[in-house]
This record gives sequence, C-alpha cells and structure tokens, in this order.
Amino acid sequence: MRKIVPIFFLIPLFALSQSTSFEFHSPENIKKFADNLFCEGDYLRAIEQFELINEKLDDDTVKFKIMLGYSELGFFSESNEIFKGINDKSIFYPDAYLLSFKNQLISEPGLISASSINSFNSLQLKSFNKLNAISMLYGDEFNISRENFISPFDGDEQNSISTFYNYKVEPPYKSPALAGTLSAIIPGSGKIYVGEWGDGITSLLATGLLAFLAYDNFRADHTTRAWIFTGLGAFFYAGNIYGSIASAQIFNARIDFEFNNGLKLFLKEQNYFLPEYDFCN
Amino acid sequence: MENLKWRKADFSYEKQIHISKRDYSFDSENAGEFLTKSLTNVYWFLISDVDGDNCPFRPTCSAFLLQSAKETNVFQASLMFFDRFTRDMNIAKEHEHYPRVSAGYFYDPPQNYTLNQGRIKYLPPAFIVDDE
Repeated sequence: MRKIVPIFFLIPLFALSQSTSFEFHSPENIKKFADNLFCEGDYLRAIEQFELINEKLDDDTVKFKIMLGYSELGFFSESNEIFKGINDKSIFYPDAYLLSFKNQLISEPGLISASSINSFNSLQLKSFNKLNAISMLYGDEFNISRENFISPFDGDEQNSISTFYNYKVEPPYKSPALAGTLSAIIPGSGKIYVGEWGDGITSLLATGLLAFLAYDNFRADHTTRAWIFTGLGAFFYAGNIYGSIASAQIFNARIDFEFNNGLKLFLKEQNYFLPEYDFCN
Repeated sequence: MENLKWRKADFSYEKQIHISKRDYSFDSENAGEFLTKSLTNVYWFLISDVDGDNCPFRPTCSAFLLQSAKETNVFQASLMFFDRFTRDMNIAKEHEHYPRVSAGYFYDPPQNYTLNQGRIKYLPPAFIVDDE
C-alpha cells in the first residue's frame, strides 16, 4: 500500500508535465533567463540570450543591458555599436550616452569632443562635465585654468584632480640634454640626476679606474696597454653619456606611465562618475 | 566571442621551461652586424658557453649588443652595450628597477635605449614579461 500511494500521486504529475505545452523559448521566457544570467554577472551568456530577442521585442531596457554587459566585459566598441541603436527619446538614452563616453575614454583615451544633451538630469550633466574634463587630460593641448578645470568635481575628488592637473601642466620630467651634459662633465652624474645612484657611482668608478690605468701606463711608457685602457675608458665614458640620455628618456616614460595608470585607477575607483545600475533588486 | 562561450577551456598546468639556444648563424645584413656577430660568436664559444648563464639580464649583454646592432648601427650599438655593461657591473642593482621575465631575470630590451622616445615601452618593476 505504501508503494502504491506515491505512484498514485506521481502518475498524474508525470502525465501533466508531458501534456502541458510550456513555451521555454518564448521571448518573455528567454528574457527572464537572460535577466537571471545578467544578475548573476554572467554577461557573456546574458548578452547571447538578450540578442536572441533584441530584434523581436525592440526593448530599450534590453538594448541598454546588452550595452552595459559588453562594457563590463571590456568589449567597448561592441558596446558603442549597441548605443547607436538606442532611440534618443528612450529613458535610457542619457545613461547610454554617458556609458558610450566611458567606453570611448577607456578604449581610445584622448580628447573627446562631445556635447551635452538636453535630456540629461542634473546628476547626469555633472557626470558628463567630469568626464569631459578628464578627457582633456588625455589631450595634447591643455590650456585651462586650475579653477575652471576642477570646478565640475566635488570636494574629495578635487584633491586628486588637482594632482593630475599639476602632473599635466608641469610633469616632473628630467631633461635628457642636462643628463647627458652632466655625465660629460662628471661621469655618472647624469645617472645620479635621473635617480640611478648605483649606476652613476659604478660609471664614475669604471671610467675613473680606466682613466687612471691609461694615465699610469702612459707614464710608465707601456703605450700599448695605455692605448687599450684609453680606448676602453673612452667607450665607457661615451656609453655613460649615451646611457644618461636614455635613462632620462626612460624616466620620462615612467612619469607618463604613472600618470596614465594613476588616472585609470582613479577613474575606476570613481566608476567613471557613472551611477551603479541595479536591475536586479 | 564565440570561443569564450560554453566551451571547456584548455589550460595547461605544465611549467614552461625556457631554454634559449645559441644561434651561431651569420644572418647579418651589413658589415657592422657581421662584426658584432663575429665578436659575439667568439665570446659565446670561448667564454659564455663554458662559464655558464651568469648574466642577470634578458636579453643577455651579448644578445643585447647583437639586437642593438640590428636596431641601430654598430657605433650606437657599442655605446648601448657599454652602458648596459656598466649597469650590469653595478653591484647594488636595484631589484625594484627592472621588470622581470618569467624565469626571474631582469627584462631590459634594447628598444628602450635607441634614444627614440616613441619606441620606449616602459614596464613597471612588478611586471612579469611572459616570453624571453
């Protein structure tokens, strides 16, 4: 009897599941599945599902989610392609506009000539002005006063932005010509000027030792040895002048790298001044 | 995109061992390269192969000279080599100064020393370059 009772209940359930036609692949169900994947952070598969229904539904939320998903995955040009399909009357258009600005800033850092749009609310306009100011930091020409530059930013942000402004206006570069000249006067001093103390002192010792050996051998009338040391010393001396110029150039490349990397980190911390979009709660 | 979806990722957990073999061939394009290649081959055959792998840099100082000669000319390559050799002699080499290759050597390519600012590819010290 105990075996028969569960079977009695299970048979109708089995029969029902076989008879009911449930449309798993209806656009609504695909959207539900895609939304679930999106909320799980599985943007790749969410986009795949959203794209199945994108044409059929013509839903601007779906479009914006695809755009957001591509951006999160680092496919910035694909994200901006989706932006082109978002209607400018859509409620998501201002956010999509800002997101496309962010995508462009990451994929092709440089001065972006974009104008504000009427549908921005005050927060979105503020974000746009901040991103616009940041894009100026990536440009080659930078002629703007500090006050004007930092004005779109809030109190805490202004300190960091001020530092980036200083870097941009007066980057702490080292002069390659000065480094070379210093090393020509005192071997190794150009390296020390660039901050490479160890290399500078090594160079001074190597050149000084070879110069002394050359001098001593000339004095002792060992001309062959003296000329060998003279030649070696000359190469070390010239190599050091050359190396000091190269070191100053590498130092300057490091300054540029740190500036760009610092700016990238700052923007990431600030989420590129965009709001956190929450479609899941 | 398609490759990222729904597929098994084929990861290899084998440790990669980089064994750099000496290339003694003379594929020089000019007299300067031929000269530096000859000097380097003699150095490799008589000293380096016997002495062992002692250079802390990658490319090694001799390979640096060869690559510099390919990048520039024999005179500039000599200056680049003597500068590199001075940096190699520095016993207080700053460990936080150079990026590294995966095997732990300092990564110091000649492209950064051609005096062409546009060709410098700065990498931070913490960076590990994948190939040698």
